[in-house]
Amino acid sequence: MIAIYVCAGIAVYAALRVIFQRNTMRKLPFLNVVSFAVTGIIALLLPHPITIAAAVAYFVGSTLESNAIASTWAGGIKKDE
Amino acid sequence: MLDESFRILIAAVICWLNFMTVDLIFKLPESGGVCGATAIAQEVEKGGGNLNGGFMMGNIVSSPDASAGTLLASCGVFCAGLSGGLFAAVLVYIGNRICYDPGYAGTTGCITATLIVYGATQVGFAASDFIAGMVIAILTIQGISYVHASRLIARLWKVRCRLLRGCR
Amino acid sequence: MNEFVLLACTILVLIGTAAAMLERDPFNKLISLAVMISGIFPFIIDRGLLDVAIATALIAPLSTIFILMVCRRMPA
Repeated sequence: MIAIYVCAGIAVYAALRVIFQRNTMRKLPFLNVVSFAVTGIIALLLPHPITIAAAVAYFVGSTLESNAIASTWAGGIKKDE
Repeated sequence: MLDESFRILIAAVICWLNFMTVDLIFKLPESGGVCGATAIAQEVEKGGGNLNGGFMMGNIVSSPDASAGTLLASCGVFCAGLSGGLFAAVLVYIGNRICYDPGYAGTTGCITATLIVYGATQVGFAASDFIAGMVIAILTIQGISYVHASRLIARLWKVRCRLLRGCR
Repeated sequence: MNEFVLLACTILVLIGTAAAMLERDPFNKLISLAVMISGIFPFIIDRGLLDVAIATALIAPLSTIFILMVCRRMPA
């Protein structure tokens, strides 16, 4: 089953691109690729129905974290007053 | 039936078409759904990319959209069959609301992907091919060159605006 | 878990840790910590501790969000 090798290889490649990218906002798409790949690895390691919940929880958490970093970097929500 | 690496490449193309179609229908390149997406779009434009493409890339990063839905549907079908995929769709809907996203791109993408992956498993594919295929598909959009990817998305967005009405 | 996936996850953890130590900008440090946490996850899943994995997946991003809130309150 080479699917898990594909996911692991893409995770390492995207992690290296995250580190070597200078601009903070442009790091976030590569971090998103790392999350996708690790979600794939989680599902492929242990095929069990509760693994779906673990994979979704990890992915939603990682998305929430990237969104928080991006919006804090941009100055937060503009309060319409 | 077919060789495994060839199946993974076909699955990657199917996943790419699925998530791009659903995201373009739900108008993701039009504007940033949450404020993090707008920040990423502006940085992509400053680096030489296209603003609409940047909006879609920002929306993919900031909220579970059809790409996340496709991946989690494949994981669901791999772990627990058709009901696993539908369970994943419910969880993606909850995840969308947690991320303050009022849209339905993620849930729709997840449901269509569940049907596609389940149908493909009946004709000789394995659900793990679609997991690897979706990771390859997202690598082509977010992971290689944001300049070329955003320009490709912008061209597809123009085609979508001509075919279906309703975008600025 | 076979050796290649083990090696890949270890590389993720080491890259994330090294980058978190060497970066200056606080946002870049948080992104590197996210890479490190992504590398730890498959080890937790491989042991079968799915409930620990769900708990960690919810707690780790929340702690990043709290760090961001604290950093914004402090005078820059």
